Amino acid sequence: MVGDGGFWFVQILNSLQMSMLLFLLSVGLSVIFGLLNFVNLAHGSLYALGAFIGYSIANYTGSFWAAFFLSPLAVMAIGALLYVTLIDRLRSAGPMNQVLVTFGLIFVFLDVIRFLWGVDALGITEGLPFSGRIEIFGEIYPAYRLFIIVLGFLVFLALHLLLEHTRIGAEVRAGVDNAEIARCLGINVERSFLLVFLLGCALAGLAGAVAMPAFSATLGMGVSILVPTLVVVVVGGLGSLRGALIGSLLIGTTLTFGQVLIPEFASIIMYALLVIVLLVKPAGLFPVRS
Amino acid sequence: MTTHPPGSRAILALLTFCGLFLYWLGADFFGYEILAEIAVFAILAMALDLLAGYGGMVSLAQGALFGIGAYAFAYASATLSISVPLSMLIAVLVSGVMALLIGALASGVTGIFFIMITLAIGEMAHEFFFKSKAFGGDDGFFGIPRLDLSGIGIDMMDPANFTLFLLASTLAIFLLLRWLVASPFGVTLVGIHENSHRLRALGLPVRLYKTMAFAVAGMVSGLAGSLIAQHTSFISPELLHWTTSGEILVMLIVGGLATLIGPLMGVILVVLLKHQLGDYTDYWQFWLGLVLIAVVLSGRNGLVGAVEEVWHKVNRLRGRSHA
Repeated sequence: MVGDGGFWFVQILNSLQMSMLLFLLSVGLSVIFGLLNFVNLAHGSLYALGAFIGYSIANYTGSFWAAFFLSPLAVMAIGALLYVTLIDRLRSAGPMNQVLVTFGLIFVFLDVIRFLWGVDALGITEGLPFSGRIEIFGEIYPAYRLFIIVLGFLVFLALHLLLEHTRIGAEVRAGVDNAEIARCLGINVERSFLLVFLLGCALAGLAGAVAMPAFSATLGMGVSILVPTLVVVVVGGLGSLRGALIGSLLIGTTLTFGQVLIPEFASIIMYALLVIVLLVKPAGLFPVRS
Repeated sequence: MTTHPPGSRAILALLTFCGLFLYWLGADFFGYEILAEIAVFAILAMALDLLAGYGGMVSLAQGALFGIGAYAFAYASATLSISVPLSMLIAVLVSGVMALLIGALASGVTGIFFIMITLAIGEMAHEFFFKSKAFGGDDGFFGIPRLDLSGIGIDMMDPANFTLFLLASTLAIFLLLRWLVASPFGVTLVGIHENSHRLRALGLPVRLYKTMAFAVAGMVSGLAGSLIAQHTSFISPELLHWTTSGEILVMLIVGGLATLIGPLMGVILVVLLKHQLGDYTDYWQFWLGLVLIAVVLSGRNGLVGAVEEVWHKVNRLRGRSHA
């Protein structure tokens, strides 16, 4: 197995696919973190909601694409509700209160999901696009997972264009760079924050919806993805699109190859990486603010 | 820190401990279980209060230090057949040394970065015990002995006796930490929390103090670990997971930060809520989450803050009637 080129190629694809899911989750979290130093621990729960809502939509309509497009919108609506009820008044409440309230939300969402969907793992197998298998170097690989990889890169490109080439993007970048100066220049940083927050929620919902056919929707999926996502955000650097992508690739690769090469220590390496980055470069590998 | 009526917290503590003792007098087997849970988690929450409430360091590694203490005790007493009191001392020291190392690393960063670094180190410890064959991996560790006091005629296998021992330990830790936070060390810790720059400018070794506080909280957590291991005689890596730290933090916040009696009251409320609500609904976590959010948004310092507010109001009314 170990000398086999095809095996390693499959592992590279696996790590890319893991990285892309992490990217979809971490990019929104990273930018809202960078904009107003806002910490949202319930981001993983939104991912889980995206998966379960996606499951219900796909089951009801019989179409995966309906879930693919509607689930992010539904999660964005939940995000908007959170914003109106809690997030808005927490913006200036300090990181401690944000951590606590969003930690409370984890409990609330866990039970909401348990109440609505039960405790069993749910997945769909019928009506999936890209359900075929592709042969790569003699190894069979599900095409759907390639779709996740391509989707991640497409989202990165779209966000890159949005941030670098539109006025809204410029306002967001200015807000991340220095919120106070941006405000003085007449930029509505709070509006940018709301936009990024909603976009982040939608991307978390999207990640959940695309992960569900591959890994099933499970009750604990939100909590277990939360820590790697936070690691990506901190390692990559707060508020940075490039940092979120490279951080995701780094953590996705570490976790996937760690699992293959030294299964006992895969996660330990990830945490060690975080500790080293925090001690050596506390602002992350690709800090936006110099 | 907010001012509070002199003596009010001592009275609150006296009432709480008397309440627990009365509950113990009338408890059945299930009642002893609840009391044991309260006692152990209260010790852990008070340790976190020293760090988070007084020192301003919100650590998510407290569950890991709790678990490390439990495993150190289990390994020393069950595998190495070391006597129980000595094994408890070993658990306290192992957790203390680990906390010293974690504190030395983590005290260099603040805010959300401190939360992240303690989360990461705690999760590393969780992974270690989850995968480690010597400690039973994810199957857990069985057959842990209890303190044997049959020499002085006390049967510790009797849940009533063992629960009373746990409650006495909680009281001892409460008094110890109360003394510590009133000592020059405790006052310095609060000073660092309020303005670390000023104290550093005065020439105080800020990181050393923070690390020492971490070590003390680690030792207390290790003691809590050795107690839970004796109580259940079975432990699993679940103890070390960051969500344990998170739940302790919730209990602390609900009770009231930097009060020492707050964490005990928060633990009592959450544990009772869990068991009582468990009779009515399967979804007690939903209500717990809402309680936490409400407490944080209310801007009061948890249960203790609410009690003191009532106390102030009563005093003011009394003052008016005198005038």
